[in-house]
Amino acid sequence: MKQLHLFATLAGTRVAIAAEEVEAVVRLIDISPVPGLGGHVAGLSALRSRVLTVIDVAALIYGAPTPADKRGLAIIAAIGGHSYALMVDEVSDICRAPGGALPLRGQLDPVWKPYARALVEHAELPWLLVSPSAFLESGIVGQAA
Amino acid sequence: MDELLQEFISETQESLEALAGEVVAWEADPSDRERLDAIFRFFHTVKGSCGFLHLPRFERLSHAAEDVLSDIRSGERCPDAATVNAVLSIMDRIAQLTHAVAVGTPLAQEDDEHLVAALAVQEVECVPLDVPGQPDAPATAHRQRSAQAAPRTIRLPLALIDQLMNGVSDMVLARNELARQLRDRAGDPALEGAFERLSNCVADMRDAISRTRMQRIDRLFAAIPRTVRDLGRELGKQIALTLEGGDVEMDREMVEMAVDPLIHIVRNSIDHGIETPERRRALGKPETGQLRLEARQSGNQIVIEISDDGAGIDTARLVEKAIAAGCLTPQAAARMSEAERIDLIFQPGLSTAHAVTAVSGRGVGMDVVRANIERIGGAIGLDNRPGRGLRITLRLPLTLTIIPGLVLRAGGLHFAIPRAAVVEILHDNNEMFRIGAVGGAKIVTIRNVRHSMIDLEDVLGLDIPAQSGPRTIMVVRSASGLPFALGVSAVENHEELVIRPASPIVTASGIYAGMTLPDNGKPMLLLDAAGLARNASLPEIAENPIEAKAEDKADAKNDVEMIAALRFEELSGERRLLQLSLIERVEELETHLFGQSGDHAFVRLSDRLVPVINGRHGFAREAVSALRLRDGVRDAYYAVAVVLDIVQMPIVPDMITMQGNLSGVSVVDGEHLEVVNPFALFASLPEEPLGHSRPGRCVLADAQDGWAREILAPLLRHAGHDVLIGLPDGEALDPRDIVLCTTSDAMQAADILGCRAVQLRAAQQPSGPQDASIYRYDQPALMAAIAGAG
Repeated sequence: MKQLHLFATLAGTRVAIAAEEVEAVVRLIDISPVPGLGGHVAGLSALRSRVLTVIDVAALIYGAPTPADKRGLAIIAAIGGHSYALMVDEVSDICRAPGGALPLRGQLDPVWKPYARALVEHAELPWLLVSPSAFLESGIVGQAA
Repeated sequence: MDELLQEFISETQESLEALAGEVVAWEADPSDRERLDAIFRFFHTVKGSCGFLHLPRFERLSHAAEDVLSDIRSGERCPDAATVNAVLSIMDRIAQLTHAVAVGTPLAQEDDEHLVAALAVQEVECVPLDVPGQPDAPATAHRQRSAQAAPRTIRLPLALIDQLMNGVSDMVLARNELARQLRDRAGDPALEGAFERLSNCVADMRDAISRTRMQRIDRLFAAIPRTVRDLGRELGKQIALTLEGGDVEMDREMVEMAVDPLIHIVRNSIDHGIETPERRRALGKPETGQLRLEARQSGNQIVIEISDDGAGIDTARLVEKAIAAGCLTPQAAARMSEAERIDLIFQPGLSTAHAVTAVSGRGVGMDVVRANIERIGGAIGLDNRPGRGLRITLRLPLTLTIIPGLVLRAGGLHFAIPRAAVVEILHDNNEMFRIGAVGGAKIVTIRNVRHSMIDLEDVLGLDIPAQSGPRTIMVVRSASGLPFALGVSAVENHEELVIRPASPIVTASGIYAGMTLPDNGKPMLLLDAAGLARNASLPEIAENPIEAKAEDKADAKNDVEMIAALRFEELSGERRLLQLSLIERVEELETHLFGQSGDHAFVRLSDRLVPVINGRHGFAREAVSALRLRDGVRDAYYAVAVVLDIVQMPIVPDMITMQGNLSGVSVVDGEHLEVVNPFALFASLPEEPLGHSRPGRCVLADAQDGWAREILAPLLRHAGHDVLIGLPDGEALDPRDIVLCTTSDAMQAADILGCRAVQLRAAQQPSGPQDASIYRYDQPALMAAIAGAG
């Protein structure tokens, strides 16, 4: 497995996302709030003529919304015909992970369990391999419950 | 290989969709060679492709079907019901397999053997079909024709079209931005001209791209013949299906959304509407029931009519059921109008089906159909003819993507709501209603009907910001048909909104139906009226609308229905009222334009004469104010001294005194005013529009005749005729003109001119029995002759 991965910090945790699942990384400028939904939906943002649904991943995982002044970068992903922006703290690199996906080790924080699929080694650090669609599925389920 | 497989799958699925109807039509008319060929070709193609792609199950199935069809083609076998059934089940199986391949699930491990075996069974001895290749039955002819005329097409992935659509939207946004920048700078005509051209190109392109989203309604109809056939079989009913207007186009998404409601209606119609052949015979109807689907475009709507000649809706039974289910009291039921009874069909959980059948009556009823239709911005109407049939009319917007909407503000944010969902908009300082609160619930009473009231901010969990002006209350009708009041900060705008689907994570809340991106680039959410009501868990029981209405009526008697009226002063000085709706406008007309013809006054406007109701007295000034009235067909003027103001007057005058042009007296603001009776006004007008009934001119043929000029002409002028002395040179005579002449050659000339002529003679006695001329001093005879020509 020599595919490209995007390495980012998401809700204070190092994650890796397969590059093919990422369409772009943008800086969110203007987010129109969507009231009446859980805190994990930060709002809507326009990227040219596309409308992105902005997901506050930190709120989804830890239940604490990211303060407005810390909102910045987001990963754009098209899932099920809709465009989403996943808010990330920072993006560090896009490169190949020579080791590929490794099995999970250690006692993972339960809040990460639904999302982490594997480990990826990069820059001599472990990164959690996550998939953007996983955040959305659990987001909807969480809402329905 | 993958691409080939994809191609095979999509082609097969499309052909299957198109063929479902063909097989049914072929069964109805087995001599229809073209359909048989089409079906045969399908299996042949599938067989060919899957052999190549190594799909052995497909190959086996299609091969078996092809063999049988080939036998039928050669006349060795005839298409009985069992054969058609077997062919249909093979098509179904191929559809299942195709789906399995498409989504990549393992192929269902079912035995195809019995399907193939079923093909071999032959019920009837074959009678060779006479005349193969006969022309189509007329009922189905139009489908054939449209198929032949189909333009060349190519297959494109949807993603590419969506990408194009997005690209064009980006372009429109960029153009808007550019337009803004250009406005801020000093105008350079050359630059603006170029921009204008670009702008038009972009607009044209957007239109063209939007058309790529359109799809023929045929696709919506594709599944119907099969449904009708299968259901008819199952229930032992005979149904003749007519589909019309399949070439009407509508938005692709709309087609997808409309399929389920339409199928549901068709199933209902077959299950509950159309009777069994025995029953139909007993009722004196033809054994075969008629089911007709018709689509047409009407303005920016698509109208789909589903009509059958079945039993219609038994409203009495519906009412019984509603009472039994406790949604209706017998007292209220007794007061219901027929339309209200029929409307009960949309109540959840009611069905006229005597028993729950496998087909319908399972609790998923017309309420769901209506909700689904309304969700896509459509409307559903019923035309019930008990015992004779039911016609259901679906009105769907042409496209899902552009809807008229209202932009409103609540909690400092902007939202959109479909205009169709809003019944009325009021400000909360309006005296027409009052808001009460009890136990946290807000109730607003508008015209004696109590509605649940919610503030949008409360539903959305926002703070209600303080504002200086009054808040706005919108009466919103949810899909379940129960209106409720929605409090918002303000309604700001009315726009055509381009709606896009919102992501599932947003729509899951149930509050939002979609989103839109206005020119300012800030995404805005479209509210779902029904969702808001559900989310706020508003009670869904109508507060006995019948009683409320009765109360309304009683009230109307007490405080009298008012209409708008114009208060004006007559030329003679009286102050009077005239119903405002009749008045098109108030005009200043110059006095010299007024004239009279006989008993009727008129005013001359550029090309015609318009009657004036009260113009038969002189006007002391140069210009007169006149009310232009219109009864829908004819115009008339009503001259007045001065227009005062618009007031509310009771629809029935306080005191009725029908007299002349007046219908009575009303008291408005303490002043007694006479009310003008519009009926009498229009009734008093001359029957024909003026001008047409005026007699033609009297043409005196012999210009040199002193008698005609000096004695006859003044007489005719006094009688109100226009007189022309001498035949006009080079000017055609109007056929209504009358030529008066004293010699017989002039008489012939008049004949040639093609108008009526009257010949006068100097002698008192006619010269002979052939002489039709009139003695020139016989005034009554002369006048009668002229009038007779009018």
